[in-house]
Amino acid sequence: MSALAPEERPPSPGEPPSPLPAGARYFCTVGRGLEPFLTREVGARLAATEVEYVSGKVFFTTNCGLTMLKQLKSAERLFLLLKKQPPLFISSRSKGKVFNEIQRLVTGDPLCWVRAVSIWRSLLELEENLPPEVAKPSKRKTGENENIITKKLKIEQTRVMPGDTECQLQKQKNDKIEEHKDLTTEKENFQEEKSENDGEKEVEHHQGKLTFRVSCRCSGTIAKTFTTEEVGRVIGIALIKQFGWKADLRNPSLEIFIHLNDIYSVVGIPVFRLPLASRDYIKVAGLRSTIAWTIASLAEINVGAVVLDPMCGLGTILLEAAKEWPNASYLGADVSDSQLLGACDNLKSAGLMDRIELFKFCVTELPLHSESVDVIISDVPFGKKFKLGKDIKSILHEMERVLCVGGTIVLLLSEDLHKYLQDYKESNITWNSR
Amino acid sequence: MRAQAGMKLLTHNLLSSHVRGVGPRGFPLRIQATEIRVSPVDFNPDFVTRMIPKMEWTALVEAAESLGHLSELPRQLKEGYEKDEDFLRKVHHVLLEVEVVEGTLQCPESGRLFPISRGIPNMLLSDDEATS
Repeated sequence: MSALAPEERPPSPGEPPSPLPAGARYFCTVGRGLEPFLTREVGARLAATEVEYVSGKVFFTTNCGLTMLKQLKSAERLFLLLKKQPPLFISSRSKGKVFNEIQRLVTGDPLCWVRAVSIWRSLLELEENLPPEVAKPSKRKTGENENIITKKLKIEQTRVMPGDTECQLQKQKNDKIEEHKDLTTEKENFQEEKSENDGEKEVEHHQGKLTFRVSCRCSGTIAKTFTTEEVGRVIGIALIKQFGWKADLRNPSLEIFIHLNDIYSVVGIPVFRLPLASRDYIKVAGLRSTIAWTIASLAEINVGAVVLDPMCGLGTILLEAAKEWPNASYLGADVSDSQLLGACDNLKSAGLMDRIELFKFCVTELPLHSESVDVIISDVPFGKKFKLGKDIKSILHEMERVLCVGGTIVLLLSEDLHKYLQDYKESNITWNSR
Repeated sequence: MRAQAGMKLLTHNLLSSHVRGVGPRGFPLRIQATEIRVSPVDFNPDFVTRMIPKMEWTALVEAAESLGHLSELPRQLKEGYEKDEDFLRKVHHVLLEVEVVEGTLQCPESGRLFPISRGIPNMLLSDDEATS
């Protein structure tokens, strides 16, 4: 499956890039267990179509721009889909044969890559609001092209790169630098070859001096025989040969993400430098932002709701909730001064001081009227502070007391705690759940 | 550096003392403010309309008055307030724009004082004081 919807075509000379009316296909990496929530979110937020999820990834099509895409809250990272195909057949074949198949991810369908890069560029350009002349490919010199990419990079360069793919890349880095030296002499020949090939004229127009980096993830059968470095190297070399791109490990304009496992072979281009899960409005996260948002999204927070997190810690859940559903009243409480201080700090950085109020009180003694709170959302710190037994019972009792009729409680529990509550529920006749 | 935020009157209206034996007489908490902050908040009529029914009106008026910020708020709710924008704006101001940064909250029944420091009310009870 390629990134392009059927109606899409690469812009011909003299024509501005298409504004992606038919949309583009993307995928997100997502934490285990959050797939159904992300599936729901892309539908609601992006009017996404053709939504499917497979083991840690949600695939979808949408014509929304970067601003909307950046709003996704339950996803880890967002990628433009370049390729999704069945897993590579490994078992009894020679390593060489498998390498050829990996290579064919590039060489088998070069136009697919060209188009994906073109879409990626269109996405970035739309956000930049460039004047039409600059956007026309025929008038664009490769130099100008670079400037567009660099400009986008400058804005994002002020942030620190996340560490998730760094460890794989570090090893790759050394290999790549050596190979690059070897390839310099060969490259000159390739440039000549390229200009002779009609099909790749488009390539020259668009690719020019594009720099790239390959980020690989291998798991399952393929990981037993191949290292991520080897796979990355094969792809990297294929890209250099096919398109004349330059490898740049430190600051590439284009990143290529490849994930090979027993279920699929997926290739994508990360849309943003930073993972979506890394929020610019959260200074210090307690709970993972994606989970915090999901908890809040389950609570159905309406306008004018009174929302309480009686064990708020650094306030992550409240921050996510207040950001998404600003027209409610948010209260956070904790018994720890240091946590409250951290939460206060977070609120200030996020500019949410007006929406979220902090208190020092204990969840077992809520200084609130009965039936005064519409929503309670919290991460129950089982094991650290509270033990099973009396504590949990009194916590739940208090929460129930302050909750309005028709109100909602959403709690994040550990496995043990969940099991305990299931048993408690069955044995206690007077238990009321709303 | 931005000034500290504080406890709003909306929230004060929800708070009740939990000192043992006090029950419903633990409301409303008397405010003694040593530092008040008035800060503009975006007006959302829908929000205000939905909040009003959740408020104890008399207590709200008393609290606003004790801070010197009654701001022409009527002592009784009139019918049809949902459509009275002028009224809603006054309520908005009292609920959301007046904050207690430093001061105390006092339980009307037991006299227990709860300090408000840097905008954060400390309502933690000792084991002896607590209800359970």
